[in-house]
Amino acid sequence: MTDLATRPAAASVLRNTDWPSFIRRYGAAIVLALLVLFNIIFTDNFLDLRNILFVQLRQAAPTAIVALGMALVIATGGIDLSVGAVVALSGQVTAVFLLDGVPPLVALPIGILVGVAAGLFNGTLVSRFGIQPMIATLVLFTAGRGLAQVVTGGRIQTVNQPIVEFLGLGVIAGLPISVFSLIVITIAIVLVTRFTPAGTKLLAVGGNERAAGLVGIRTKRVKTMAYVVAGGLAGFVGLLELGRIQASDATNAGLNMELDAIAAVAVAGTTLAGGTFSPGRTIIGVLMLRLLQNTLVAHGIPREVAQIAQGLIIVAAIYLLRRSRDAR
Amino acid sequence: MRIKLAVTAAAALLISGCSVDSGGTGSSGNAAAGAASPAANCAIATAADPGNSQPADGTPVAENAPKLAQKDTYRVAFSQNANNGAWRIAETQSMQDEAKRLGYQIQVTDAQNNQSKQIQDIRSLIAQKPDALFVAPMTEEIGTVIGEAKSAGIPVFLIDRTVSNAQAKAGTDYVTTIVSDFVQEGKRAAYAMAKATGGTGKVIALEGTTGSSSAVDRKKGFEDALKQCPGLELVATQDADNQRARAQDITESLLQANPDVTAVYAQGDDMAMGAIAAIRAAGKVPGKDILVVSGDGSKEALQSIVDGAMVANVECNPRFGPKAFEVMKQYAAGDEVPTKILNEDRLFDASNAAEFVSQAY
Repeated sequence: MTDLATRPAAASVLRNTDWPSFIRRYGAAIVLALLVLFNIIFTDNFLDLRNILFVQLRQAAPTAIVALGMALVIATGGIDLSVGAVVALSGQVTAVFLLDGVPPLVALPIGILVGVAAGLFNGTLVSRFGIQPMIATLVLFTAGRGLAQVVTGGRIQTVNQPIVEFLGLGVIAGLPISVFSLIVITIAIVLVTRFTPAGTKLLAVGGNERAAGLVGIRTKRVKTMAYVVAGGLAGFVGLLELGRIQASDATNAGLNMELDAIAAVAVAGTTLAGGTFSPGRTIIGVLMLRLLQNTLVAHGIPREVAQIAQGLIIVAAIYLLRRSRDAR
Repeated sequence: MRIKLAVTAAAALLISGCSVDSGGTGSSGNAAAGAASPAANCAIATAADPGNSQPADGTPVAENAPKLAQKDTYRVAFSQNANNGAWRIAETQSMQDEAKRLGYQIQVTDAQNNQSKQIQDIRSLIAQKPDALFVAPMTEEIGTVIGEAKSAGIPVFLIDRTVSNAQAKAGTDYVTTIVSDFVQEGKRAAYAMAKATGGTGKVIALEGTTGSSSAVDRKKGFEDALKQCPGLELVATQDADNQRARAQDITESLLQANPDVTAVYAQGDDMAMGAIAAIRAAGKVPGKDILVVSGDGSKEALQSIVDGAMVANVECNPRFGPKAFEVMKQYAAGDEVPTKILNEDRLFDASNAAEFVSQAY
């Protein structure tokens, strides 16, 4: 008889590891690492600090901020299709106020408030009126962008103001503003979800809403808060996008951002059924998908191919999610 | 990501701006001499702007379409497919302004980007029996209703897009179609780039929506002309969907992978503005380190030529009014009107941008 103890320990570890679960959790990080390695070898100037911070991370940061809000909503078992439109609406409203001569100190918070109001609207529809999240947020997905176009008359308006230039090109602590904001927001979200009861409540509501209600959690309030935070973050990203192109573009600002955010949450290995929240993996998911696209673009492969590649990765992630032994 | 692709495509259809070009004054300013010494093997670096193209020889004359009586004043109608976006708003404005200038009555409908609405619009316009009907078709598939106008004895002039030949015949069901030559626009951009760069350098190209006729034709004109300049190497071409932010992201990525790029051709001005922002973000000076050539002729682009950030711009003039009414009057006078008329585009560069910036759309 073979003595179990004589087997090499490594083999035992390999055999006992739940591989689908492992790849689901760390697959995005592994692919990201491989992409970085590929780029170091094959893409000129990739390791340049300016490229890492001011091209790769800066391009990914707005989507990452939106994805964090999306991950919060998904943790409650919901989904928010409106965030891309809210990005557009917030940016347009702010641009119109700035062009009207309203001081930035007023105009910028208004942009964030637009997002908060949108989140409150979504959250109320979902939690108070019990409307399916996908349908409830579809309202602002269409109406929000329409409103944004009405606000600016459908044309791109350049906003040549120092504050807008600062949002787009400014540097804080050596980092582009969007990257700096992403770090601050991530730390804040991690602190709140890890070290206050809010995190437990969030996961409890997503895991089993009825049980959470029975133990005294105000589930409606928790769900509404998740949409409010997601909306507020989208409103903030609207300001970043306004700064990025130094102009208001109602048609294209935040376009498809909700889908990129959902994709990032999915490839991060988070179940869309709720009850799981992983900010770190969500950000890695965004970075991975963005770098995948940029790598293909940098090597002259049409953008459409990048979209197909992204689709295949999402399919792989969903497959692994179903195969892994721990459902979440 | 099928959903995403579909959404992107739908959005792109809505915004693909310049579908045709209208008759401007057609001056092609060539005063600026090439800044760099032209490479010996690049003939187009020293050539004059090729200017506007002419319709192919043997373009038939409109003979069987409904006739138009010669009058002092006319009552006309214009069916616009979507009166949104700066380009189409300028187009509609131009039709109205020119009608007003000539003392004609004009009725305008807006199909709001909806094909079935445009067909309804045209039917109700036909019912009001205008002297002539101008149509900016939503798609090529509205030919049947054009035939209804012929049956009602109303001459139709198509502007900025045409309709399917299977449904309506040029010169019979409608008089003529006034469109832009996008291939020529691409070619003129290549000439302008060759002149500005002296015929050497590495180029990246940003294209409009994949599959749109403006993107396909401008690419053809640009790339064919660029072949005459072996010193100008096209190192990357990407679809930026006529979007500013996307063009910016793509240009940033391409500049990082190809730091020795010296010129950018953007098929449309929104993409050019994104490229200029990306060049600035990369710590380079647009107009000096990297030369940007674009197409459309928007106010913002002309201003950036004045500011030195862009070197040249091939117009895609939305102001169809003067050309459209001139053709209508020729037709009424019994002159021979070809069934396809090409619009005139201007070339803007440092020599004339300041002069035209105030009247750009």
